[in-house]
Amino acid sequence: MDRRDLLKAALAAASATALAGCGRGLRNLLGNSDLGFAEPLPNPEPIARTLNRVAYGFNLKVAKEVAEKGREAWIESQIAADEEEDPWLVLQIERLDVFRLGPAELRDLPEEEVVRQLQQATILRAVYSRNQLLERMVEFWSDHFNIYARKRFEAWRKPMDEISVIRRHALGKFPDLLRASAKSPAMLEYLDNDRNNKAKPNENYARELMELHTLGVHGGYTQEDVQQVARCFTGWTIENRFGRARGTFRFDESQHDFGEKVVLGHRIPAGGGVEDGEQVLQILATHPSTAKFIAGKLVARFLGDGFEGWRDRLAEIYLQTGGDIRAMLRPLLLSDDLLHAPPLPKRPFDFVASSLRALAAATDGRGVLPYLRAMGQPSHEWPMPDGYPNETESWTGSLLARWNFAIALLSGDVKGVQIDEILRQQPVEAILGRKPGEDPLSRLIAERRDPRERIALCLCSPEFQWR
Amino acid sequence: MEIMMEYSCEGYRKLSRRALFAGAMGLCATRALTQVAFRKDGEKDGRVLVFLFLRGGCDGLNTIVPYGDDAYHRLRPSLALRKQDVLPLDDRFGMHPALRSLLPLYQEGDMAIVHAVGSQDRSRSHFEAMSAIERGVAYAGEPVSNGWVARYLAAKGGTQDPLQALAFAPVLPDSLKGSTGALALEDLKQYRLAGGSEGRRRLHESLWKLYQQGDDRFSVAGRQTLKALEIVERLPDVTEVNRHGYPASDLGKALAQTALLIESGVGLEVACLEKGGWDTHVAQGATEGWHASLLTDLADSLAAFSNHLGKEMERVTVVVATEFGRRAYENAGLGTDHGRGSVLFVLGKGVAGGRIYGEWPGLEPEALEEPGDLRVTTDYRAVLSSVLAARMGAEALLPEVFPGYSGARLALAPA
Repeated sequence: MDRRDLLKAALAAASATALAGCGRGLRNLLGNSDLGFAEPLPNPEPIARTLNRVAYGFNLKVAKEVAEKGREAWIESQIAADEEEDPWLVLQIERLDVFRLGPAELRDLPEEEVVRQLQQATILRAVYSRNQLLERMVEFWSDHFNIYARKRFEAWRKPMDEISVIRRHALGKFPDLLRASAKSPAMLEYLDNDRNNKAKPNENYARELMELHTLGVHGGYTQEDVQQVARCFTGWTIENRFGRARGTFRFDESQHDFGEKVVLGHRIPAGGGVEDGEQVLQILATHPSTAKFIAGKLVARFLGDGFEGWRDRLAEIYLQTGGDIRAMLRPLLLSDDLLHAPPLPKRPFDFVASSLRALAAATDGRGVLPYLRAMGQPSHEWPMPDGYPNETESWTGSLLARWNFAIALLSGDVKGVQIDEILRQQPVEAILGRKPGEDPLSRLIAERRDPRERIALCLCSPEFQWR
Repeated sequence: MEIMMEYSCEGYRKLSRRALFAGAMGLCATRALTQVAFRKDGEKDGRVLVFLFLRGGCDGLNTIVPYGDDAYHRLRPSLALRKQDVLPLDDRFGMHPALRSLLPLYQEGDMAIVHAVGSQDRSRSHFEAMSAIERGVAYAGEPVSNGWVARYLAAKGGTQDPLQALAFAPVLPDSLKGSTGALALEDLKQYRLAGGSEGRRRLHESLWKLYQQGDDRFSVAGRQTLKALEIVERLPDVTEVNRHGYPASDLGKALAQTALLIESGVGLEVACLEKGGWDTHVAQGATEGWHASLLTDLADSLAAFSNHLGKEMERVTVVVATEFGRRAYENAGLGTDHGRGSVLFVLGKGVAGGRIYGEWPGLEPEALEEPGDLRVTTDYRAVLSSVLAARMGAEALLPEVFPGYSGARLALAPA
């Protein structure tokens, strides 16, 4: 069964209306009748910026919603993340095997297909979810607790990690997220903690736990701490015994080092079992370095570099609220700095998601995956534990692939993507959320007649590479 | 799509011809670009540096194996290679058998090995250690933001040619950070705008209009990309190089394309390549297995590259480095954890190779660095500065490239 057959089967399974090109999910982006530029948006720039930072980019219909609701109220609803998802999106996601089947049954599917479905879901949610901030935070934590879906059995383990670690706690409390990640079979395997035993402890998880997940590399731990933490986690592994629930967390006493350990100055007495590792997580989750590190990463993601005041303020909130992610995000997202901070680069995923949102494109999320790969950011495929990079310089090399995606998109060459209503709009306003002016893009667009070319040029422009 | 790519449409042709005129009279984008010539000097400016980074921490002890060291066999009861397993280089060291295709290069003096080499960074973090070496500093914490390769290019007078500095990588590596002209790409074959030649030209012009003014990073990179596209379009067929025996791996492909660019005389001066997968915490294997298969690909790719370029290797120098070596003793998972000293290769015709540079600190308990790692006795900058001085004729630039480093150098032969 090739991809087309799968797609056909999927189409047949869905109700005809859901996929007729304008399901309800699409209506969220398209509006019910037209995109209507009759009434210009009140003060479009702050809204465009807000959608670029809090959501996956500008879209006319959503911009109008924000204008009606009020920017701050809309941000609050995003923080609450309680918008009901459109049944169309829910149906699309639920139809994917990766979220329907348990890890054991998933094994019957080839790795390639499992990874593809994971990526498909990620793009579908980024484009169509009404809870856009939630999806941005899922991406943020997927980078923070990066897992490479191509290592050993990770493809089959990652869906569970996505559901019960990343998505469940994305807007919850960081210590809960950390604990869930530590016992997630996907993480146990990715950082070799499942092979960590008393005879010769494996330091991989211990090191990345402190360097990348909690304290940060300058957070005040030593090589000795790494080794002590590795000992604490000996025996943490993945259930693999006959007749048990394979693929779940298991503490194997026989492989645990029951001796005394000292971690960051805290004595962990001899005789402890699984509690040793749990205690380490507690020490790390409440450590001021962790507060600062997490705060700094959030600020960098939403505002950019150089906002140390914000980092300190969020770190303070972290410590006061026990790592409440919502409590940290609220002042940040409602701040004036969100509107006025220098632009941030769109990573390729941002670029693709924001293109599809701006165009109100209909897609099953599958046809765009090869393009994301060409740009260097297929989801869950960054091999190193630090997650996809954020710096502009890391991504300027992807311009050619971005241009080619924009061309393919507007040429109808991206499989399963349809574009319709957007073609009737003024492109600069519809894609970039601003009035045309005397800039090179506006001038070039004014010279061109073909609506598809005009829109493609907007997506290709330097301006659209920033958010 | 009607307008942009389909040039069967008459209206489009007219439009595009008009656009071409407008371009010629106004912006002259394409005309300026055609002046980027294919140089064939191959002399003073013809020296090329290829910096290949093995990401993940290559186990130097399982690469250039100290088979003659008793402590090595005690520390690695399961993983150690015996004398009969290795390709002996002297009484102590042997090449891992997976490197056999490099042996002739070594024997002819075109490959130098440095052992127990590394940075001063003791974090044992991939990212810190990589960052130290790619930025050309002792420790990751040093406040230097650009890469050493970028500083080398800047000291030489900056990047003028669009393909002067290239990274075969999905994202620009730290070594090239700060070099506005550097380009990252994964495959020359796919380095082209979509569509037929006419549509491409029209699109190229439109893009030039969009990108010609801005001074933001994407605009700068866009101009560089557009210039590079012009050149790549005129390169010979990339697939032609297959006859030189490159492995069908990403590294094989990247080295083949690097060689193609060197041959074509497009002004390539620096290429940064990488190969990941060296983080062998678990089941790394001995004569065969995970690490061995990485080594096979590495050796076969480099051997094909050297074979492909032949005499041109006189002006080409390849440096193979990694962020750190691995723990001297094996772990319970029959792998090795992050360590310190590793090995480094320098390849090129006449590099004064055929020998192993560096002081061997030994593997006895008291010789190891806590918690059990091969000590670093040669600073990696000793090697890189020797390469720049002896092979790239850049002695005078060293204070700018490696500020604050005045340590020892290796006696590499000039190119």
